[in-house]
Amino acid sequence: MAVRGAIDIGGGFVDLVAVDEQTSEMVWSKARTTPDDLSRCVQDVFDLSHVNAAAVSQLLHGQTLVINTILERSGAKVGLITTKGFRDILALQRGNRRDIFNLRYRKPEPFVPRHLRREVDERTLADGTLERPVDAKSLRDAYRALLEENVEGIAISFLNSYTNPANEACARELIRGFSREMEFQRVPFICISSDLSREWREYERTNTCVLNAYVMPLVDRYLRKLTSEFRRLGMQGTLYMMLSGGGVATFDYAAKFPIETVESGPVAGVVGALAVAEWVGARNIIAMDGGSTTTKASLVHDLEMKFTTQYAVERDEYRPGYPIKVPVVDINEIGIGGGSIAWLDDLGTLKVGPLNAAADPGPACYGLGGTRPTLTDAYLQAGFLNPAYFLGGALRVHPDLAQRALSSLADHFQISLDEAALAVLRIANDNAAQLLRLISVQRGYDPRDFTLVAYGGSGPMIAPFIAEELEIPRIVIPAVPPGNFSAWGLLMSDLRHTLVQTLVRRIDVRDSASLLNAHYGVLEESVRGLYREEGIAQPVELERTADFRYSGQEHTITVPVIPGTFGEKEVGELISTFNDHHQREYGFCLESPAELVNLRVTGVVRMGKPTPKAPLPTPGAPASPIGERPVYWGDQGRQATPIYRREQLAPRARLSGPLIIEEPTTTIVVPAAFMAVVDELGNLIVERK
Amino acid sequence: MTPNDADAFTMNIIHNALLSASEEMFTVTARTAKSPIIYDVLDFSTALTDPEGNVTAQAVAVPVFVGVLDFTVKGILAKYGRAGLRPGDVIILNDPYLSGTHLNDVAVVMPLFWGDTLVGFGASKGHWNDIGGITFGSWGPGRTEIYQEGLQIPPCKLFSEGKENIDILEIIKSNSRIPEMCIGDLEAQVAGLRVAARRVEKLIAKYGLATYFATVEHIHRTGEEIARRRLQELPKGRFRAEDFLDEGGEGETPLPVHVEVEITDDEFKVDFRGNASQLPFSLNNTYPGTVAAVRVVYMALIDPHARYNQGLTAPLKVIADEGSIFHAVRPAAVSVYWEVLTYAADLVWKALAPHAPDRLTAGHFLSVVGLIVAGVHDQTREGFALVEPNPGGWGAGPDKDGESGLVSFADGETFASSVEVIETRYPIVVERYAFNPEAGVGDGKHRGGFGIIKDYRIVNSRAELTTDINRAVVPPWSMEGGGVGTLNHIVISGAGKAPLRVRKISAHRLERGDVVSIRTGAGGGWGAPLERDPARVVEDVRAELMTRERAREVYGVVLPPGRFEVDIAATAALRASCAL
Repeated sequence: MAVRGAIDIGGGFVDLVAVDEQTSEMVWSKARTTPDDLSRCVQDVFDLSHVNAAAVSQLLHGQTLVINTILERSGAKVGLITTKGFRDILALQRGNRRDIFNLRYRKPEPFVPRHLRREVDERTLADGTLERPVDAKSLRDAYRALLEENVEGIAISFLNSYTNPANEACARELIRGFSREMEFQRVPFICISSDLSREWREYERTNTCVLNAYVMPLVDRYLRKLTSEFRRLGMQGTLYMMLSGGGVATFDYAAKFPIETVESGPVAGVVGALAVAEWVGARNIIAMDGGSTTTKASLVHDLEMKFTTQYAVERDEYRPGYPIKVPVVDINEIGIGGGSIAWLDDLGTLKVGPLNAAADPGPACYGLGGTRPTLTDAYLQAGFLNPAYFLGGALRVHPDLAQRALSSLADHFQISLDEAALAVLRIANDNAAQLLRLISVQRGYDPRDFTLVAYGGSGPMIAPFIAEELEIPRIVIPAVPPGNFSAWGLLMSDLRHTLVQTLVRRIDVRDSASLLNAHYGVLEESVRGLYREEGIAQPVELERTADFRYSGQEHTITVPVIPGTFGEKEVGELISTFNDHHQREYGFCLESPAELVNLRVTGVVRMGKPTPKAPLPTPGAPASPIGERPVYWGDQGRQATPIYRREQLAPRARLSGPLIIEEPTTTIVVPAAFMAVVDELGNLIVERK
Repeated sequence: MTPNDADAFTMNIIHNALLSASEEMFTVTARTAKSPIIYDVLDFSTALTDPEGNVTAQAVAVPVFVGVLDFTVKGILAKYGRAGLRPGDVIILNDPYLSGTHLNDVAVVMPLFWGDTLVGFGASKGHWNDIGGITFGSWGPGRTEIYQEGLQIPPCKLFSEGKENIDILEIIKSNSRIPEMCIGDLEAQVAGLRVAARRVEKLIAKYGLATYFATVEHIHRTGEEIARRRLQELPKGRFRAEDFLDEGGEGETPLPVHVEVEITDDEFKVDFRGNASQLPFSLNNTYPGTVAAVRVVYMALIDPHARYNQGLTAPLKVIADEGSIFHAVRPAAVSVYWEVLTYAADLVWKALAPHAPDRLTAGHFLSVVGLIVAGVHDQTREGFALVEPNPGGWGAGPDKDGESGLVSFADGETFASSVEVIETRYPIVVERYAFNPEAGVGDGKHRGGFGIIKDYRIVNSRAELTTDINRAVVPPWSMEGGGVGTLNHIVISGAGKAPLRVRKISAHRLERGDVVSIRTGAGGGWGAPLERDPARVVEDVRAELMTRERAREVYGVVLPPGRFEVDIAATAALRASCAL
């Protein structure tokens, strides 16, 4: 028997999900993370699941180590080697002042201080010409100086290396030679920017390379340790790591390019949502993850995940953050979650979030010292949540404390507690709806063409309110419990590598075909090469896209590109595809020539994915409520509302709202205008009547 | 729940929707514009106003634009009256005396209707790269009247009840050196306005006209309440500041400028009366620009994170003499208006910094350090123009050093061009882009931030350079005994030519191999240098931002030869002797 498994190691918990490849039986387990000794929690989670590690043919892994190392500034001491004249690129950044009315602004502190930023005489021009080769002497001096400072990692980033990486590669080779002849014991990890990104803009690419070097030593140790632990448990299968671009790669690849895994956790959720979408026959989805501190959303159109070009760690309304130029699935978030605090600003306007009580002290109703009303308290007060069934009854909550917390708001507005609770829900849901509007309406997509896949602890609860606001016709609540959804998303991923090449050229029907053929040829061969290096022999499916704009514009839009060889006719079709996309996104086209900016190739190796079977009651079994309780739905006051248990709902059950479905880690709200149907796999589909 | 309270939550939701609508207008415009100054520098702004032209929600990346859109819409209302505006109209204008800034900034405004009722305006104003005039890019020194600065467009209807007035487009096209870019930017601005119209229509359809109007009124009222409340926390009294503009005084000496700010319980009054008359140079500022500058500092003091609306400015009053540099009138040249605009803000800043140390630091490099490198590309035979602002050093405060390499206060979410993008687009090789420690820094217990050095080597047979900067003669000011900052300037050099140091120049001819070196100044220091933590001094020496000699002479910090640490005994002795 062979098992495909996924293990997600987060700060608090480690989750395991495994599927038997023959029977499709699915199991999951959860254990506390033991950060000081990873082997213990790995052992625990396998023990709890009764999965035989020796039977695991493939293990997919997701982690939060990379993002946390950056956020906590706990990475390695890193040196940077740049082109002469450009050591300050990392500190100059783009010079922007994002918090525009703040005249005491602080720029992000660079990850390498100035004395560890060294220059080398070399130069590549914008067209790829090597104006000057790497000067070995200045490189040797720079390297020695950094070794004397005991750096553990070195990032090499030269100007225009995106168009010709020869000088960067040469510098790396030279350094390898120096290492052999120098007396230093330890050899630092070296990475070059062109290995990570072939896109223009030196600050963004340099920062990407620096952050890669910053996490590399730690990730290397971590992966070695984890590998030996899995092997100790008897596992023979291949080990894969989730990448931010929505696919997985081998541990060897992840050790070289750890920065590519920076958003692996949230991305796994989107991959899982996409798998659910395929089963229910949806091609357009909005994946929404409702957590305790944030709500995240990602739009998938025609089963294609979207990628962001603006990913940055610690970026928000007032901070530019640290840009990372690797493929990252476009996930937007807003600081609204179950733990968000409702508060009054100094003019008495009601606000919800981003202040948060999730981790400490928790919502008021938890009785752990919180006195300020949170979104969870509001849902409890209005009757949507069952005080006796938090974590399936394992967590005791106190409705009276929620009441006390909400009473300040009720007093302020001179309204009832229920009305205060509803006001908090409305504001919070409106904020979350704005997030979804941002990724759909503002980018030319009509939410009425989409299915909302809602997961996370609060996702299924807020989904119907958002669906009403944006007129989304259908909601799917996956069968997999929210706490295991990320691990389950890992299980549903394929191998995926994306390479991008910046190539700024005007496109015209007569001359561009050979250019496209040549460059796509090189990119596709490079993607295949990556798989060969990883020892993967399966067939690679190649997908092409390109970023276009009108000559003179700056921002580009990404359009799909057909496979095969280009001739005049195909180039003409590509240009009209671009015009169509521009028309849809912005409502107009221009007569200016189309200009190519980036070519992109994604190579996917499909993994065999059994359709997982969750344990479910016999299909067709009648559903009956476990009881009812008065719920405050708004205008009509409290209404007696039937309550169901998720695990008792059999496939094909059809229920008409208003009703509430409870499960241990989430609650599903079905308003009067909606129906809930259970499909054959146990997914719950909530649709407008 | 009483109906009024129910409305409070609905209004909250509508307010958010209006803010997001103004941002969507902004995004759509930025993403479709054709001028880098719009899409990269984000030198434009979009807003929604009420039917009187008061700004309800605004998206802004360049903060000075908070001052000008209300003037723009009010100017249109003054010309047409409500009765003269119809659904489907779009008005275009660039009259700087009416709507602020300069001719390059073209405003496009759409009255928004619900049935026949005027419900507000969508407004957009952005920098077009060339609007005619005597040199490429339209702006630059050496102008004496507005007639030399480009095409003037009084408010006129680009669309009349939905019908496009092609003649206006034709006039624009035949006046600009880059007509395609201008028309592209105009399309982008109109696309943004159409977003505004759709979003406002949807809101009114959903919530009703009465609720919509009640919300708009509520937004302005609460804005005013916030401002009045914060005003209570500001120091009260009269605060004065004076300074010198690099030029304009008698016999080419610096020109004295001054302000008096009076803060009372219900008013924030800024008085520029008594300043010099408008100059026969390009840098005069019209009244809306002066108000805009003051509003930026005012917002920093009131609440930098408040979402801007007109109500917030209710307690603010700005007075300037008509015909002065702060309230220029026709036919004053205004194409480099920002170099006086920045002084309007800097004076208020300087007057109040000692009294609001939690909001304001010492003086910064101030100038936008804008430049144009333009020409015809040898290979493509097409025109090119690099137009950009530059980052510089900021001032120190009681708890921080100044920031290094940050755009001027007049710019905000404004990006310095990427070197790799410059080298791809223009026949320029960038030889160096780094911090500029050469002329020192505003020393202090907390030191100023460093400016930049950027060297452009021209790799085209010829090109031309235009620039006009200030704080090239009079440095940024310091506080509490810190040292003043350093100067902005540009050095042009080439084979067989003596290096030429300039602060303003119009269409200066460059040849292949010439190097234009942009050097921006450091910010002012805060507190006595001898009080600086010696460890921070050592850090600067190790970072090669300061020499050992300077550490010793200015900061009284001694480092043992060849090592990067404090010689504690020698430092204590030296500092003690300095203190005597």
